[in-house]
Parts: sequence; structure tokens; C-alpha cells
Amino acid sequence: MGKFDGFKGGRPGGFGGDGEFNLEQMEKETEEMLKMRFLDKKNAEFKATGGGFVSLKVGDEEYSRIQVVRMFPFTDPDHYISIRTSDENSKEIGIIKDLKDVSKETAELLVTQMNLRYFTPVITKIINIKDEYGYAYFDVMTDRGQCRFTINMGGSSVVHLSETRILISDVDENRFEIPDVMKLSTPERKKLDLFL
Amino acid sequence: MKKDLFPKAVLKLLKENGIEEDDIFAASATDMNTDCLYADGFVVLTLTQLAIVMSAPDEKEIHSFKGYMTKQKAFDTPEKEWTVKIYPIENMENLKGEPQVACSILTADVDGVTYRLTAFSNLYKREMHKLVRTFDKICMEMKADKELEGKEPGNTPEHGPGRGPWEEGKDGDKEPESKEERIKKLKVYGVEDENEKDEYCPTCGMMYPDRSRKVCPRCMDRKSIFFRVIGYFKPYRARIAGLFLCYIATAGLNLVWPYLNGTVLYDKVLAKNNEFLARFGIEDGKYITALLMVVLTMLMARITIIVIGMIQGVFAAKIVTGVVRDMKKSIFGNMGKLSISFFRSRQTGSLMTRVMSDADRVTGFFIDGCPYIFINGLTIIVSLCFMFSIKWQMTLMVLVVMPFVMLIGLKLRPRIWTQFGHRHRAERAVNSQVNDNLTGARVVKAFGQENRETKRFEKNNLRLRDAEMSIVGTQNLVRGSYSGIFELLNISVWLIGVYLIMVAHEIELGVMITFVGYIGQLQGPINFFSRVFHWWSDSMNSAQRMFEIIDSVPEIREAENPIELDNPKGRIELKNVSFGYEVNRPVLKELNLEIKEGSMLGIVGRSGAGKTTLVNLISRMYDPQEGQILIDGKDIKDLSFKSLRRNVAMVSQETYIFMGTVEENIAYANPDASHADVIKAAKLASAHEFIMRMPDGYDTRIGSSGRELSGGEKQRISIARAILSNPKILILDEATASVDTETERDIQKSISYLVKGRTTISIAHRLSTLKDADYLVVIDNGKITERGTHSELEALKGTYYKLMELQRKALALKGIE
Repeated sequence: MGKFDGFKGGRPGGFGGDGEFNLEQMEKETEEMLKMRFLDKKNAEFKATGGGFVSLKVGDEEYSRIQVVRMFPFTDPDHYISIRTSDENSKEIGIIKDLKDVSKETAELLVTQMNLRYFTPVITKIINIKDEYGYAYFDVMTDRGQCRFTINMGGSSVVHLSETRILISDVDENRFEIPDVMKLSTPERKKLDLFL
Repeated sequence: MKKDLFPKAVLKLLKENGIEEDDIFAASATDMNTDCLYADGFVVLTLTQLAIVMSAPDEKEIHSFKGYMTKQKAFDTPEKEWTVKIYPIENMENLKGEPQVACSILTADVDGVTYRLTAFSNLYKREMHKLVRTFDKICMEMKADKELEGKEPGNTPEHGPGRGPWEEGKDGDKEPESKEERIKKLKVYGVEDENEKDEYCPTCGMMYPDRSRKVCPRCMDRKSIFFRVIGYFKPYRARIAGLFLCYIATAGLNLVWPYLNGTVLYDKVLAKNNEFLARFGIEDGKYITALLMVVLTMLMARITIIVIGMIQGVFAAKIVTGVVRDMKKSIFGNMGKLSISFFRSRQTGSLMTRVMSDADRVTGFFIDGCPYIFINGLTIIVSLCFMFSIKWQMTLMVLVVMPFVMLIGLKLRPRIWTQFGHRHRAERAVNSQVNDNLTGARVVKAFGQENRETKRFEKNNLRLRDAEMSIVGTQNLVRGSYSGIFELLNISVWLIGVYLIMVAHEIELGVMITFVGYIGQLQGPINFFSRVFHWWSDSMNSAQRMFEIIDSVPEIREAENPIELDNPKGRIELKNVSFGYEVNRPVLKELNLEIKEGSMLGIVGRSGAGKTTLVNLISRMYDPQEGQILIDGKDIKDLSFKSLRRNVAMVSQETYIFMGTVEENIAYANPDASHADVIKAAKLASAHEFIMRMPDGYDTRIGSSGRELSGGEKQRISIARAILSNPKILILDEATASVDTETERDIQKSISYLVKGRTTISIAHRLSTLKDADYLVVIDNGKITERGTHSELEALKGTYYKLMELQRKALALKGIE
């Protein structure tokens, strides 16, 4: 929990006077912004709430409900997890650098929360894809059962997270994922060819 | 919300728990349980209770999303086990649909603890939002009740439609509604909603993938598109008739050619057939004359074909360019009419280029493809007839081979199309990277990343090369096998022919050559037919994309009998206005505001608080989801676009300079303005001086192709534009944000002149900009948190006071004040 003394007393130049800030305020905010508070099993206590969420006690701060947000949801899901307040203008309470820094039970609790937050069925089998007039109709098997959805061909409905990993968003922005295209069979890949 | 939403079993279950269908105020289906497992369920709201009905998750069930969803989603499967949980809404607060990454959860505070009630996919976002809004309104009514009864303390102005002291009472002459009536109005279940009508395709019953475009891609009739495209060709009827004459003449001559070249030349003339000569009135033995005549006829035929080809080209070019022009005109015309939201939701640039090239593609098929379907079909039939009449044995040979040729086309062509798709994408990647790098050239250089960018480019470039190579490979394969088969066919026909001539003596050399000629004649049409199907569907897809734009209905529409606003006073009222760009992310929440005529309202708030959204609603770039905006007591939805645009002008933080001269830019809204008016407006906007420093003065070309202006200069030009348009209502959205202090002071002066006799709404970060405001509102989180005059707000010691103190200190530190 280092303090960045280097910035104290001065602002990163250029904001002169036209914002809603003054020096002290700015300084405080800058410091707050720069502060990285890491949470681990020693300083933070996570608990499941009766309502299906998680509460947090850290130091003398108590939060009846927190949000668990990944900083790198695709590339590094188990590290750098931001623990945030649950209100609309949510603010960061602290960061879990590695899920291993917290107890196993806590990690499980947080992962459950994240799984709910990042709900994305994983496509295991492609039954059929049909494209008609700017839309593609998918009929796929996922780890949550068979799903049928429609995507818009024009926009950015199919995002390549890596060479082989694909994220598909339907017309309502429901997400589906193919973690590894190469694991699909050749005929399945052929059906998907249009999007590869 | 449709009435027939529930399966009977659910209704029964609700009844058992004391909820009659008539009690239901709002309801939404859901497709996930609290653990985010797919399971069907319902959320039901009555005046006193919230019920969550869920079924057990079923792994085997098929989950349908928009595009697949049918109206009668197979809910009536009786086997399902339903469970119900009922919450009294008396001790429930903050019912919310909280958006997650790709789904939402419904939460509420029950006795102070937040509960996860259920989850739902984005399919039900809209319905659920409606339910939540109904809940809010019911709660508000109930709370208002309580306040009347017990005068509950702690009622802050943020809650309810609290009004500032400077606002006059409204609805004075209207009889207030009774509570029952008000509550009755809240019911949305079973009430037809204009927006929800026709959400499903009438043919297949599936939900439209895009609700604003009532087109079902599955049921879209390709034929109807075809005929619609044909419609664009109608004005060119005469030319098309000419074109067809050319086609038929060419086809006819092409058919005659093998006969001339084979039978006539070899068997009649070279074989010295006197009988044949006699038919043309040539004396016996004058073979040279006959030969000359044949050669001349052949020459004439060739020349005619070439000339007709040229005429045909002229016709085609005239028709194509005309039709493409008409199509583009209607695309561009409709695009202008569309609402801002259309451009927000799409990548405008790519859409535009695509549509523009689509017009070419559609027309291309109709000119180069369509007519040839008939002509090539005819050619094949007629050629085959000729061939049969010449020698059926040899024709059979052709008939055996033909299916193979077609097969190659049908088998290999799809591969090429996919490869074309790959190439297209690779090309796009290369292009967008070049574009990216050109735009960001300064950053690339500043961080010394040229090499990495080059490498990145090389990667895309390689992909493009590979895509190109594979296309060439497949094309070669197709071409090779094609000509291979035709060569084989030719050779076998020759073999049979030679046998028939030499051994069987059944035919003569000329007949043989005619026959081979016809085979050659067939090659093109067969080739054509193997690709025409794909061509056709591709062109229909392009046409469809084009009609997508042409048919798009703007979300903001002018009323049918719009009211004209003559000499408006400029009083603006906002009544319970709620708005969000996305359904369950409200930006403005039940805003109430009145701006008196001729006064200046200052809006303060942090970025993202909804200030710009508010003025966008007043200028009707968007329509509020709930509530009304009135100008002079008239709903702006009823005003004609013309009078609205003429009376409301906006100077926004995004300035836009069109291609053209300075004068044209200033006179954008009134092109007829005199030089004197333009100069006056420029002077008032403190723009005159810098304009005169430019070499060509008011005739200097600016905009994307001309001289570059600084941010402040652009700003001043747009202020001049607003001054010249002389609106009754002026909106200044951070109009002076990008100018230096000195210029701001100048502009301030012109603005204080400008606001006289107008209603002005000014948004600013710098509070000094708002010092002339008659009253101010502070917006936070989509709500008005403070309102009043400058001194009232100062006395309130709230956000406004804090901001003022901060800025005063900051200025003092800089020694400005």
C-alpha cells in the first residue's frame, strides 16, 4: 500500500482552474486515485449475505454488499479483481491481486459472484448456422443447454479475443463464447467459417 | 404487455396464492433463476405484492432468444413444476434491474437487506424495466398517501415532483385526478402498448431481431425484393427494350455463326454444291463468287455483332449509372431523415460505403445477370435443338457431360465465395490499420512504435496475401477442370465425328464443324448458370441492405398534423421526463423543470450527469421515454420539425464545420442571409477579427478540405451560426469550453447580447460563464438536486456552493481574480 509521495503538492499540469476542483481537493482525489489498496485474507473479511450477495469488512469500514469485478475478464480472470461498492456510482474499495491471496472459501464465494456477473454460456457444439439478410441464426449446444439466438452480421457481433477464442453477442447483447475454435469439429468450423 | 403471457398452471398457482389475473399491474417473463441457470419464470406485480414464479432449470430445454422467440413460447408444457415466492411490497424498496455484463439481475431491499430476486437475459430487459417503473410509481403513490396522512418527516426535494419556489403552480385549471384514477393508470399488464404492437412476424410468429425494423429476415420474400429493385429500372423502359433487342440480335447471330462457318462454308460452298448456289441465284460453277459472298456474309455478321455489342454497352452504361444514381439518392435522402439514435447505434462510415457499393452490386446483377438468364437459357435450348437435328448421337454425349460441368461449378463455387469473404475481411483489417495509423501518426511517432506498427501491418498484410492466394488457387482449379472437361468433350465429339465421316459416311466435315461450334457456344451459358444462383442471392442481400436504410423509419417522427409555432414566447416546461439511451440505464429520472420565457437557465453538474442529454431532448434529437416537454404549453412532439428547428438553436461542445467558405458556414441555417448580416453575426461572436486575418476573408474555404481552424475558432463560427439563425430558444452546451479566457470574455459579451429576448439554456463547467443566469439547477445522477437563483443556491451551501468555492480558490491561486 504505497503512497505516491512524488505527486504530492503538485498536480499533473494542465488542469488549471477550469474543472470542479481546487488544489486540496485535487490533491486528495489524486492521492485516492493513485492509492492501490490490496485486499487479502489478513485485512479483509468477506461474507455471504442472506440476499445472495457478499459483504465486506476491511479495517473499520463495513460494506453490506459489494461488487466483484475483474480488471482483465478475458486475459487474466484470476488476478486483479476489483472490489467495489454496489451503488450506481460504484467506487473501488480495494483490489485482490491474486485469488490465492484470500482464503479458499472466500475465493469460492467471489468466484460464484463473478460467474453470475460474467454469465456467458460456452458453446460446445454448433448444430446449425444460417445467414439470411444481414442476420445469422445460430443453433448451438452450450454448457447451459441448447440455445438459439440471432446475431447482426453488420456490426461487431463476433469479437476475436485471440486467434482461436471468440465472443459472440446476439441482437440483445446476450453473450456466448467459443473458448477454442480448434476444438470444434471440421464440419462445425466450416459452419462458422463466415466469422473466422 | 400482452395478456396471454402466462400458462394456465402459473395462473392457477397465483390464484392459489391469492393473486387474481385482474390484480396484476405489471408482469414480465424471465429466463434465468437466481443462480443464472436457464429456467422459465415470471415476475408478477400487484398493488401489494411481488410474486416470483419459477420453474426448475431444465438442461434439455431449448432456449430461444430474439429472432427465434415465438409469441407463444412453448410455455404451455404442462409437466413443468412451478414454485412461487411472494414478497409484500410494503417493506420492499429499491426494486431494480441491475445490468451485469451480459444479463441482468433483479434486486430489491427487503427489510433493509438486498436480495437477488431473479436474473434475466437481455431478452426481457424491456419488459422487466417496465415492471420496475410500475413498482416505482406505485410506491410513490403509496408514499404520497402516507405523507398526506402523517406528514412524514425527512421528505427531501429529490423525491417526488418537488418544485422550486420560483415555479408557478401548474395544472391550475385542471381538475386533479382522484387517487383511484391515478393508480388505475399505472396498470400496464394487459394494456396494449403502441411500441409493442407488431413485434412478431405475422408469417412465422418469430420476434423480429430488430424491433425498430419490422422485417423478418426469415420470411423476407426474395421475390418481392426482386420486384422492388425492378421498380428502379422502370423509368428506363425504352432503353431497356433497346438493350434487350441488342441481346436477342447478338444471341441470334451467335447461333447462326456455327452454321455459316461449318455447314455453309464447308458442305455447300467448298463442297461445290450447285443446288445451294442456285438458291441464291448464283450461276453454277461460280464458286469463287459464292465463297466471296459467304466470307462477306460472315464478315458482316461479325461486324454486326461487334456494332451491336457497342450499342448494347452504351445502353447498359446509361441504365446502370441512372439506376445507381437513383438508388443512392434515395439512400442518402432517407439517411438524412433518420434520427440521431440510428447513427449512434451503427458504424455510420462503414454502413455508408457498404450501402453505396451495394447499389452498384445490385444493378450489376440486373444488367449483367438478369437478362442473360433468358438469353443463355434460350441459347442452350436452341443450340441443343440444332445439335439434335444435326446428329442426336453426338448430342447425347454432350448431355452426359453437361451435369458434370454444372456439378463442378456448384461444388467449388461456394468455396470461392467464402474465400472472397475472407479476403474482404483481411482487406478491411489492412485498411483499418492504415487508417488507424494515419490518424494516430503523432502518437505512433511520439512513442517510437513505428517498427511494431509495421510488424502488425505485416501480419494483416500476410493474411491478405494468403486469402488472395487461396482464391487464385480455387479459381485455377475451377477453370482447369472446366476447360479439361470441355477439351475431353471436344475430343470425344471429334472422335465420334471423324468416325461418322470416315467410316460410317453419315455426316460431312461442315456439319461436324457446325456441331463443334455449337459446343463452344454452350460453354459460356453453362458456366453462367453454375454461378448465377449465388450471384442472385448475393445481389438480393445487397438489395436488402440497401432497403434496410431506405425503409428505416426515423424514431423521431413529425406529428401527422403538426402545429406551427409562430412567434413563440419561448416558455419551456419539462414534466416528469425520464430518458435513457439504453432501456435499463436511465440518464434522466423524472425531471420537472420550468424555464420562463426570456430567461436564462444555467445547468451545472459533473460530466455524465445528464446535462447534454437534457438539452438533446429539448431540441428533440431524442424523445423522452416518459413525460412531456412543452414549449409555450405545446408538446414538442406535436410541433412541426420546421418550427421546432427554426426556434431552437444549439451551440454545442461538438462543433462541426462543413466543407465550404466561412460565409456559407455561418449562413448554414439561413443561406439567404446578406453579407451585412453575416458580418454582424461574426462580429457578435468575436469571430470577425480572426476571419479577417485569414487570406481570403469570408471567402476562405474551411472544413475537411480547406483551412484548419483551431477549436476556439470553430466554436466561434458555430456561435455566429446560431446568432444568425436568430432562434427564440438558444441552447449553449459548453459553448465556450474550448476557448482561452480572453476569448471567453469576448464571447461572454456577445452571449449577453445574444440572450436578450430569448430563452437561453446554458450548460457550463466554468461557473463564471453562468453569472448572468436568472436561475440555476444542479443535475446529479439524472435528477435535479438543487435549484434556485445564484444567491439562493449559495445560501443552500450545497453542491453549487462547493463548486463555486473550489473555482474561486483555483482562480485566486492563479491570480485571475
